[in-house]
Amino acid sequence: MLLTSLDPRINRLQVPADWPNSAVKKQLDQWATYEVFTQKRENTPYAYVGPVHAPDLEVAFVFAKEQYSRRAACFGLWVVKTQDIQHTPYVDDNESVFNLLNIPAPATASEQSEAFEIFMLKKRGKAHTHAGTVLASGYQNALAQAKQQFGEQIPCVNIWVAPAAKILKSSEEDKDWWLTLNEKKYREPVAYKVLDKINAFKNRTTNTP
Amino acid sequence: MYGGGSIFEPVKLDELAHEDPVKLAEFEARIQRGEKIEPDDWMPALYRKQVIRMIEQHAHSEIIGALPEGTWITRAPGFRRKMALLAKVQDEVGHAQLLYSAAETLGKTREQMTLDLISGKSKYSNVFNYPTFTWADSTVISWLIDAGAIVNQMANARGSYGPYCRALERICAEESFHLKYGHDAVVYLATGSSKQRQMIQEALNRWWPPIMTFFGPADKISAHTEILMRWKVKMATNDECRQQFLDMYVPKVWELTLTLPDPLLRKNEAGTWEYTEPDWEEFKQVINGKGTCNKERLAVRRMAEEKGAWVREALLKPEATYVKPLA
Amino acid sequence: MNELAIKELLYTLADNQLILGHRNSEWTGIGPILEEDIAFSSMAQDKLGHSLAFYTLLHELGESDPDTLAFMRNAAQFHCCHLVELPIGEYDFSLIRHFLYDHAEAIRFEYLAQSSYEPAAKVAAKLRGELKYHLLHANTMVKQLGNATAESISRLQQSLNYAFPYALGMFQPSPYEADLASSNIFPRESNIQAQWLESIQKILAQTQLQQTAVHTISPVLGGRLGQHSEYLQPLLDEMAEVINIDPSTEW
Repeated sequence: MLLTSLDPRINRLQVPADWPNSAVKKQLDQWATYEVFTQKRENTPYAYVGPVHAPDLEVAFVFAKEQYSRRAACFGLWVVKTQDIQHTPYVDDNESVFNLLNIPAPATASEQSEAFEIFMLKKRGKAHTHAGTVLASGYQNALAQAKQQFGEQIPCVNIWVAPAAKILKSSEEDKDWWLTLNEKKYREPVAYKVLDKINAFKNRTTNTP
Repeated sequence: MYGGGSIFEPVKLDELAHEDPVKLAEFEARIQRGEKIEPDDWMPALYRKQVIRMIEQHAHSEIIGALPEGTWITRAPGFRRKMALLAKVQDEVGHAQLLYSAAETLGKTREQMTLDLISGKSKYSNVFNYPTFTWADSTVISWLIDAGAIVNQMANARGSYGPYCRALERICAEESFHLKYGHDAVVYLATGSSKQRQMIQEALNRWWPPIMTFFGPADKISAHTEILMRWKVKMATNDECRQQFLDMYVPKVWELTLTLPDPLLRKNEAGTWEYTEPDWEEFKQVINGKGTCNKERLAVRRMAEEKGAWVREALLKPEATYVKPLA
Repeated sequence: MNELAIKELLYTLADNQLILGHRNSEWTGIGPILEEDIAFSSMAQDKLGHSLAFYTLLHELGESDPDTLAFMRNAAQFHCCHLVELPIGEYDFSLIRHFLYDHAEAIRFEYLAQSSYEPAAKVAAKLRGELKYHLLHANTMVKQLGNATAESISRLQQSLNYAFPYALGMFQPSPYEADLASSNIFPRESNIQAQWLESIQKILAQTQLQQTAVHTISPVLGGRLGQHSEYLQPLLDEMAEVINIDPSTEW
C-alpha cells in the first residue's frame, strides 16, 4: 500500500505507507566538514558564516555558495576543510588569547615558510573574521607571527589558523555569481507591502452598510 | 520555524552532583556575566544534553516543517507566490542545515540526529503533524507559525550557547521575509473574493488550536525549567511567548475582519490575553504519534534518506575522517 | 524585426526554463543531502526567474502578462522540449537532465547576449553569472558521481542513455530559423547542438561514463511545435490548480 499525501510531489514518489522495518538507515552521512567564510562588502574582511558537509573541497565550495551566499550581498567566498584549521582555546570576553597563551617569539623566517590566514574572534558568540596573512613555517609559528602582527588587537578571545594554500577562494571572475542577488526581490521583506491593501479593505468594509 | 516549550524533559538535578563545583561555578559566572559558551568550554553534562536536545529538535522542526508548506510548491498561484514559497521552503532546509551544524559542535553527529528523527526517537514541533488541505493553510503557516517561531527564536538568540546564537541570528534575518510574505499572502485572500475569504477563514479555524499549542504547555503544568532559565538555555516561559504572540498578531487577524475560533479570546484590562486553555491531552497524543500526519512526515523523511543514500555512499571518502565543525 | 520569429524564440526559451524550474522545484525538502537540496532549489528559482524575464519581454511585445502566459495556457500552446517535461525520477536522472540542459542553456545565453534583438541580449547578459554557477554545479556533481562507485556510475550511465534522445530534442529548429539566423537574432540550432556536444564531451571524458554515437540516436522532437509528452498537461493542471479556483482574482 502506498502513502496518499496532500502533496502531489510525494504521491509521485510512491512512498510505502508502512515502511519496512528492514530499511534501517545506513551510516553514510558523515562526509567531512568544511568551514565557510564570506565577504559581505567589498574591501572588508572575510567573516565566518558556518560549516557544510561535503565529500571534498570542490563540492564543499559549490554547496557553500548556495547555503551561505544566496540571501545576502556577497563579494567573495572562502572554503577550507575543518581539519586544516588549528585553533587556540577560548578566553574570557575582553581578554586577549595572545596574552594568556604561552606563545614563543617567532623564529626567524625559515626557507620553508608559507602563507597562513589568521582569523580572530573579538567576542564570544560573534563570528571569526579574517585579520590578515602571515608567512610562517607551520601552525605554531603562524600563531607567533600573528601575535607580532595582530597582538595589539584587543580583545581577541579565540584564533583560527589555516594554510592559505588549503583554502579554496572564489576568483575575480566568480563575482558575477552574485550580481543578480539584488534583483531577487521575491525573497526580500521590502517586496511585501500590504498596508494599502489593508486600508482599502477597511474603507470598503466600513463604508458598506 | 520552531516553537518552544514542549521539548524539555524534567531536569534531574542529581545529574549535577558529579560535576566539579569550581568549574560549575565558573561556568555559571560566565553566563551570569552575559558571556556566551563556546564549543570547547567546560560545561556540565546536563547543559550539553539539554542544549543538544533543544537545537536538534529545532533542526528537525525545520526539515519536517518544509513538508506541510512544500505540499503547495507545485501549485502556488502566480510567479510571485511560486518563487517566494519555493525560496521560503528552501530557507527552512537551510535552517535545518545551520542548526544541525550548531548541534554537531556539541558532539552529536548529523547522522545520529537524522537517525533519531526517522526512528521516531527525537521530537519536532507538533504543529507540523497537521495537514495543509488548501493553499490557504500554507499561507497561515507562512504567516502565523513563522511569527510564532520568530517570537521564540528572538528570545533564544539571547541565550548562552554561542553557535546556536550565531545560527539564530542568520535564521531570524531570513525569516523576516517569511513573515512578510505570509502576511501578504493572507491579506490577499482575506481582502479578495468571497471564495478566497472562505478559504482563509477555514484555514484559520483549522490552524488556530495547533497554533495555541505552539509554545508548549502552560507554565503551571510544564516541566521544571528554572535551571535552564538560569543557564540561559530557555529564555522565556511558554506563556510569556504565547502572550507576546497573541499581542502582536491577534489584532492583525481581527483587522481583516477574520475570526478566531475561541469565544474566550480577549485582552483583559490588565493587558493580558485570556483564551480557552488548549487541549494539552491531545497535544501530548499528537506529539507521541497520534496526529494526522506524523506517519507521513516520518515516512517522507525516511524515503528521502533512503533515496539519497546512494549519493552519500558514492561520495563517502574512506580517508576523510569526520570531525565536528568548529563553531 | 521579425516579430513572429522573436516571439516564437522567446516562448521556447521561457517555456523550457519554466517547466524545468518547476520540475526541479519538486526536489525542495526531499533532496539527497541538505546542502544539495538547497543548491538544487536555488537553481530551480533561477530558472523560474529566467522564464519570468522572457515572459516579461513577450508581454512588452503585446502578449498577455507573465502569469497568464505561464499558468493559463494549455499544453498545445507550449513550446518546450520533452526533456524538461519528464518527471524528476531519481536524483541521477534529475542531475543528468540538469547537466545536459544547462550546457545547452549556457551556449544559448552566450549567443543571446550577442543578439541583435537587444532586450533579450540584455536579459541574457545579466543572467550569465547564474548560469556559470549552474554549470559549475552540474559539472562538479557529474564528475564526482561519474567516477565514484559502480552503483553511481551505472545509475548515471542509465540516466544518460535514457535522457539522450530527449536531450537531442532540445535542438529542434524554430520554424523561423532562417530569419532568426540571417538577422543575427539567434543562430541555427545545429550550431548550438554541435557546440553542446563538444561541451558535454569535455566533461564526460573526465568520467567513466560512455556516450553513445549521436548519429545512431533519433531525437525526441515535437515540443517546440506544441506536440508534447503525456506529462506536460497534468503538470500544467497541477501548476494552475489554485489559480483556477478563481482566475479573475489576485492571489
